[in-house]
Amino acid sequence: MIGREKLIARLQQVLAKSSADQTEIVYVGNESGLTRYANSYIHQNVYENDSRILFRSALERKVGVASCNSLVVSDLRKTLEDSIEIARQQPENPNFPGLPKPAKYKSLDTFDETTAGFSPRDRARAVKKVIAQADRKKFTVAGSCATSCAEIAVVNSLGVEAYQPISSASVSIIAMSDSSSGYAAGTSRKVTELDFTSLAKVAVDKCDRSQKPRQIEPGEYEVILEPPAVSELLEWVNYVGLGAKPFVQKTSFLSGRIGRKITSEKVTLYDNALDVHSAAFPFDFEGVPKQKVMFIDKGVAKGVVYDRAWAKKAGKKSTGHAITADDSSEGAFGLNIFMAPGTTKRETMVGKVKRGILVTRFHYINGLIDTRNMVLTGMTRDGTFLIENGEIVGGLKNLRFTDSFTRAFKSTVAMSRETERVNSWWSAVGCMTVPAVHLGSFRFSGKTEF
Amino acid sequence: MKEKLKECVHWLRGKGVNYADCRYVRRERELLKVSDGNVDGMSRTREVGVGIRVVAEGAWGFAATANLTAAEIKKTATLALKIAKASAMTKHEPVLLAEQEPFVDTYRTEFQKDPFEVPSEDKIGRLVNACDALRKSKKIKTAEGSMDFYRTGKLFVSTEGAEIEQDILESGAGISVIAFDGKEAHRRSYPNSFGGDYATRGYEFVEAMNFMDHVDRIREEAIDLLKAAPCPDTTTTVVIGGQQMALQVHESCGHPTELDRVLGTEISLAGGSFMTIDKLNKLKYGSDIVNIVADATVPGALGSFGYDDEGVKAQRNQLVENGRFVGYLSSRETAPVINQRSSGAMRADGFNRLPLIRMTNINLEPGSWELDDLIADTKNGIFFDINKSWSIDDKRLNFQFGGECAWEIKNGKLGRMFKNPTYTGITPEFWNSCDAIGNKNHWHVWGIPNCGKGEPMQSAHVAHGVAPARFRNVKVGVSK
Repeated sequence: MIGREKLIARLQQVLAKSSADQTEIVYVGNESGLTRYANSYIHQNVYENDSRILFRSALERKVGVASCNSLVVSDLRKTLEDSIEIARQQPENPNFPGLPKPAKYKSLDTFDETTAGFSPRDRARAVKKVIAQADRKKFTVAGSCATSCAEIAVVNSLGVEAYQPISSASVSIIAMSDSSSGYAAGTSRKVTELDFTSLAKVAVDKCDRSQKPRQIEPGEYEVILEPPAVSELLEWVNYVGLGAKPFVQKTSFLSGRIGRKITSEKVTLYDNALDVHSAAFPFDFEGVPKQKVMFIDKGVAKGVVYDRAWAKKAGKKSTGHAITADDSSEGAFGLNIFMAPGTTKRETMVGKVKRGILVTRFHYINGLIDTRNMVLTGMTRDGTFLIENGEIVGGLKNLRFTDSFTRAFKSTVAMSRETERVNSWWSAVGCMTVPAVHLGSFRFSGKTEF
Repeated sequence: MKEKLKECVHWLRGKGVNYADCRYVRRERELLKVSDGNVDGMSRTREVGVGIRVVAEGAWGFAATANLTAAEIKKTATLALKIAKASAMTKHEPVLLAEQEPFVDTYRTEFQKDPFEVPSEDKIGRLVNACDALRKSKKIKTAEGSMDFYRTGKLFVSTEGAEIEQDILESGAGISVIAFDGKEAHRRSYPNSFGGDYATRGYEFVEAMNFMDHVDRIREEAIDLLKAAPCPDTTTTVVIGGQQMALQVHESCGHPTELDRVLGTEISLAGGSFMTIDKLNKLKYGSDIVNIVADATVPGALGSFGYDDEGVKAQRNQLVENGRFVGYLSSRETAPVINQRSSGAMRADGFNRLPLIRMTNINLEPGSWELDDLIADTKNGIFFDINKSWSIDDKRLNFQFGGECAWEIKNGKLGRMFKNPTYTGITPEFWNSCDAIGNKNHWHVWGIPNCGKGEPMQSAHVAHGVAPARFRNVKVGVSK
């Protein structure tokens, strides 16, 4: 960790040398450790200390981007010159809105010293706790335990100066028997909030209860989707439907449907990076303050997230959801997705299902089949259970589902009042916060052998 | 840099490690994206660093740094050693590595035109011209194109005496178009979806794509999809085009033959494999005409290199022979489990990532059929073209893949177009139903630059040499 003063001073020193009309520097530096275990021993254990420094330079409306991973001043200056040279070679980009002006950011506590100082031995001790729970049932476990700290800073020649340190910790646990598996996971800015033993007990219990799974024929079933399963669906919904690019390009299921009811009124979906129940963060990678954005409000389509370039194309304002400039053609992206909770106690949800399936999580979902109708397909994994007359009666062999998100969520029966933070592929800077969901109808289209 | 790395492994040897290697990696990337006639983004990325892998007390440790001073490299080596000792807290058996000759060698990609030296005007002009031509219809909502170039220098030094330098150049490009009629949106791509085609070649690879020869076809096909019928929900014969066959081989043969997955060490993210060790040399994976090799020596292919990131020389190995499962992709640590030496498949996504078993060029060897004859020989069926969606279970058995579009085959001729086509199956049942494979005239190595695996996530550059092939009794049309 470099610290605000020293880091900003270094970036400003280089920024002052820019000959471009406008220049932006984004710094993302991280120290991260990750311990992977499988077959109940640690097989990979890694640490990295790296950074990315991205320069975006504009000569009027000609824009160039270059990046490096060295903070040596001569390397920074060379990369700055590269960005200006690239800009010089470009045609005018009429969609370039210019860089943002300074803004105020919400003060958020996103850094935890204990997490930053969590050592390889600390992680190994945490893994040993997990292994101990599996040993009691003679199961094996696989998963990972990661801790990291990072600094993100944005400065630009119009006066933007944003800095935020963050920490994050996560654990994933898969307990395995000869015929079954069970999953549990946790994520937080503070490693002390992760209860490794309790999570391991959940994974082991799911593995135990799903032993000798029975086969069930694919078809339409009532389902309880646990938070990891809900989150995995929403990752793809977010990727192909909730950003400005697919919305403007008309491939999003929300395009042309704003104001229309598209799901049950029990469904409210939004992004809010300022909510400390998520992995909060105050600004985006252009230095624009994050705003809460409603995607679906009580079943009605409301909008998408924007960065400055896609906002200009759409005649809107940025919502503070830019990603880094080297990826900016992909458009804005929500990193702190929430599905609003309901009023049902989670422990009572199974009791309200006559015959259905409880899904712990999904595997390898894909949402590109028919994005206009938000059709998704994927497999269940690590704890799929049959529910009969309000009780779990045993494990099921895994099933493939193929269904439209909007069709399935029109049948929403209930949302749990409790929510969970769930890791997503962008977890270093955000996460999903979702309830368990009871759907009246979910379409399973295939089965597999385990 | 070589002296710094040699000093580092010498120091680690003095600390009594069982094994250590140091990799210095310098990677440059240029990415150009054009959308609707405008340059949406042009970026150059440069990253440099050292990754140090250590086996101490019989367990692994890895640490990486972007700071290249001798003091920082030594500090990183110390940390890798500490991490290995922490890993040993849960050790069952000590890590054993297959024997390996310590090569001292260099390897360089052969190419004609260095893409980093080609003027930006040429690259931008090619994409802008293609996008302009693609937009010659009111029904076209978006036309996009991209070019992507990598130049990677690697230096590998080990405690066993290996010293290997490699310079690898990669080029890729593609275009796509989205048609929209107020209700539906459909995309067509050339030469492949998700960024096009990639190779370890220079700019000549991009020039040979001749975008302008293909813009009219993909624009009109995208528009035709707006009126196309849905893919019927039925069981039928399918003929799968080359680009989609590449994805089929990737997901249902490449990943399940990775020996780390088989041994359970990728369970936590990507899953395991149904191709377990007890099935080696026994499982009838496919029909007799199915032959699949892992070949890292194919000139110009994206999965080709001189040495893997453990210093093992690039190889050609059979995975499936006359339909029978006969081999794995392996590493120095996993190969001894099957009493073999490494197949040379360990690669890392940059200096700061641990090498994992990755596909090289996983190739379905060509058959005997001309494509026209194969279609003519098919009474009823569906022809699938270019991948759009992919999903497979965590043991690589149940898959469901979707194409950008499909055509009905009726009485040996291509007929009406279908939108949002999908097909699904169980891997060995599917490959055992293969009864025709296109010949070498239709065989092409498709480069895939985004194969994800591992934690932290790593993206590998791999490839698949394939020709169109025919499969019987396949379930199609599951899309809602």
